[in-house]
Amino acid sequence: MPILKEGELDIITHSAEQTARLGTRLGTLLLPGDVICLSGDMGAGKTVFSAGLGRGWGATTPMSSPTFNLVHQHARAKDDVLLYHLDCYRLKTDEDVESIGLEEILGPRSCVVFEWPEQIEPWLPPEHLWINLGIMEALRRNLVFKANGKRYEHLLNEFRGITYG
Amino acid sequence: MTYILGIESSCDETAAAVVLNGTTIASNVVASQIDLHAQYGGVFPEAASRAHVEAIGFVVDNAMRDAGIDFSRLDAIAVTRGPGLVGSLLVGANYAKGLAVATGKPLLGINHLEGHVYSLWLTQPYREVKFPVVILIVSGGHTELLLMTGHGEYQRLGGTLDDAAGEAFDKVGRLLGLPFPGGPNIERAAINGNPQAFDFPRARLEDEYDFSFSGVKTAVMREATVATDGRRNREEHKGVQLRADVSINDIAASFQRAVVQTLVDKTVKAAKAHDATEIFISGGVSANTALRNAMRQQSELPVRYPPLNLCTDNAAMIAAAGYYRFESGLRDGLEMDVRPMWPLNNETYAR
Repeated sequence: MPILKEGELDIITHSAEQTARLGTRLGTLLLPGDVICLSGDMGAGKTVFSAGLGRGWGATTPMSSPTFNLVHQHARAKDDVLLYHLDCYRLKTDEDVESIGLEEILGPRSCVVFEWPEQIEPWLPPEHLWINLGIMEALRRNLVFKANGKRYEHLLNEFRGITYG
Repeated sequence: MTYILGIESSCDETAAAVVLNGTTIASNVVASQIDLHAQYGGVFPEAASRAHVEAIGFVVDNAMRDAGIDFSRLDAIAVTRGPGLVGSLLVGANYAKGLAVATGKPLLGINHLEGHVYSLWLTQPYREVKFPVVILIVSGGHTELLLMTGHGEYQRLGGTLDDAAGEAFDKVGRLLGLPFPGGPNIERAAINGNPQAFDFPRARLEDEYDFSFSGVKTAVMREATVATDGRRNREEHKGVQLRADVSINDIAASFQRAVVQTLVDKTVKAAKAHDATEIFISGGVSANTALRNAMRQQSELPVRYPPLNLCTDNAAMIAAAGYYRFESGLRDGLEMDVRPMWPLNNETYAR
C-alpha cells in the first residue's frame, strides 16, 4: 500500500518479476545526474531491481551483479549518457572509494546506482533517491522509496504516477 | 623457440610466468592474497592494489630466475589489460610497460577471460585442439559460455544475467558462515551432505545459454535463515541468522547440485548444437570436483579442464594467450589503457 506522504512511497511486491518491473519503470524516468541508492540484505532484490532499471533506461548490456568488479558501466544507444552500477559492500576506507574513481563516476552526464550505499554514506551526494528493500517472506519484498532533495521528490511523484496511474 | 613473459594482476593474485611456444610452462609464480582478504571475507580494492605493488617486482624476478633466462631472451611481454579491478589492473599494466621500455620488447595486452581459455593449452601432455570447441569459463567474477572456432575467434553464446557462479558460491558460503573463499569450503561441506535434501530452483530463461544464480542464492537464504519482518534497521543491515534445525552440509550439497546441474546442462546442449569436438571448462570454479565429474558423465564429448593450479588466476595462461596474439603479428603500444569491463567475443580486439 502506498503511504500518502510527500517524498515517500511504500510498495510490496510479490515476485522477483514484479520487483524488476518497478525498476524498469524507474529506469525510464532517470535523467543524467540522477543517483539511486539500493539498500537491502543479500537476496532482497537489489540486483533484480537494477536489472529492470537497466532495461527501462535502455542499457545495451544486462545489469548483472557488480559485486566482483565493484563498478559496472553501461551505455545506451540514444545518447552518450552512462549508467554506473556499484556494489559498495567492500568499500571501507577513503582509499577504497578513491580507487574506484567515485568523483568521475558522479558526473552530470551519468546516472549512478549504488548497492550497499550505507557503506559509503559520507561520500554520497546529499540529494538522491533512497530505496530500502526488505525481505518479508519467501518472494515478497517491501520497497520503501525516500526522496532526498527537490529533484527526487519530483522523480518519485512521476514514478508514483506511472505506477498507480 | 618463442618465450613470452606473462603478468597478471586483475584481482587478488599477483602472478608472473614464462611460457614456451604457448604450451610449455618454463616458470609460474603466484603470490596469493587469499590470506589478506580472508580476514574481510572478500577482496578489498585498495588492499589488493597495495599488495600488488609490493609483490610485483619480486614475482616477475622470480619467474625470470625460475625460467633460467634473462630479459633479452624474451620475445614479448604479455599483461592482463582487463576485465578486473581498475587499481589492480594498473599495477600490472604499468609494470609491463616499464619492462617493455627498458628491454625494447613488444607489449601485448591480453583479455583475462582469453587467458582462462588458453589455460587449456597448458595441460600436459599437450594434445592438439580441433576446432570448434565449446568453453565454459566459471569463476568468482565470470560465467561465460563461448564457442571458439579458431585461435582468437570467439562467439559468445551466453553468460550470467546476475551473479557469477563463483560469486554465488562465495555469497552462499558467507550466508552459511563458512570461511572465504566460498567455493572450496562449500565443496568440502557438501561431501558430507545430502544433495537431494533441498530442491533449489533452476532459473528458466528466455535465452537458452544465459545463466541466473541470484534465485538459487535467495532460495538458500529462505531455507537456511530465520525469517525477518522486512523492516530493516540500517545499522543492522548485515544481520541474518541461521536456522538451528537445518544442516549446513545438506544445504551446501543441494546448492552445489543446483548450480552444477545448470552449468552442465547448458554447456552440453551448446556443444551438441554447435558440433563441438570437445568441451573445455576453466576458471576457479572448474576446480570443483562435482562440476568436473558431472560434465564428464553427461557429455559424450571429451571434457578438458586445467590442472588445479591453473584453474585460479595465474600468469602462465596470460603468456599462453599472448603467444597466439604474438604469432598473429598483433602488438600494443605504450599508450594502452586498462579495461575494467571487457567482454570476450568476436569484437574483443577490434578497434
